[in-house]
Amino acid sequence: MKIELKKFGTTLVSRQNGREAYLAFLPSLKEVMEDEEVNINFADVITFSPSWGDEFLRPMAEQYGERLILLNTDNPSVVASLDIIERSYNLKFKQENQG
Amino acid sequence: MDQVELAKKWVVENSDLPADYYCSNSAVFQSRLVKLQEELSGAMDEKLKKTFPLTVAVAGEIGNNSFDHNLGNWPDIPGILFAYDLSQRQIVLADRGQGILRTLKRSKPSLTNDQEALITAFTETISGRAPENRGNGLKFVREVIIKNQMQLSFQTGNANLELRYGERDLTVKKMEPVFRGCLAVIKF
Repeated sequence: MKIELKKFGTTLVSRQNGREAYLAFLPSLKEVMEDEEVNINFADVITFSPSWGDEFLRPMAEQYGERLILLNTDNPSVVASLDIIERSYNLKFKQENQG
Repeated sequence: MDQVELAKKWVVENSDLPADYYCSNSAVFQSRLVKLQEELSGAMDEKLKKTFPLTVAVAGEIGNNSFDHNLGNWPDIPGILFAYDLSQRQIVLADRGQGILRTLKRSKPSLTNDQEALITAFTETISGRAPENRGNGLKFVREVIIKNQMQLSFQTGNANLELRYGERDLTVKKMEPVFRGCLAVIKF
């Protein structure tokens, strides 16, 4: 499954909105097969914060583990947010960036 | 009046605020943050064009912290002041909420003063909303400021914290006037 984050907006900054986005997307996540990868594409997201990311990405990391892959994470606010989430919760996100 | 002075008068004296600066709820703040993002994305400065998402994210974390930690507990006026002046490269955020000490004391009762509370808020993963697993927003703010050409002055109670590019050490001083909520000035 590929999730386009820009469909949730280009300014992804509050816990409330991150939580709401995750809950709204939960029914779609039921379609993910047992061995399927879940790709989250950050392309065209302008501002991303750890609060939003914490609420949306952390439950997915817990559920999908190694099958969760983050794409196009080169925006500086995405880089800084992922770094603090990884360090706070001892996580390591798989990332793939296309030149 | 200067935006910083106006914010100080609001948190200390509850003076009137221009409607353009007042965000009564997080939805209003979100829409004004998007406007700031749009204005910064049109900046002519090449460096700023690359780093403005960090500036917006820092402002977003500080502003949303005010809402997250005071929801249902605003002592008098709900909401925050959010003002910016791009010609001065300055963003000002303030609230008349409970302040950092009172918020964090719930999960860390050993805190005794505003200085300790401010250092804890910017260095430890701790939340005033425990047992919810939160509390990395101000650590993120600190990391971004010290790794980029930015400055932050953050005051709560009688404590003021200064963060600058390249300076990992935290400087916290006693300040006047004492006030209950929070005041943040970001320079970028």
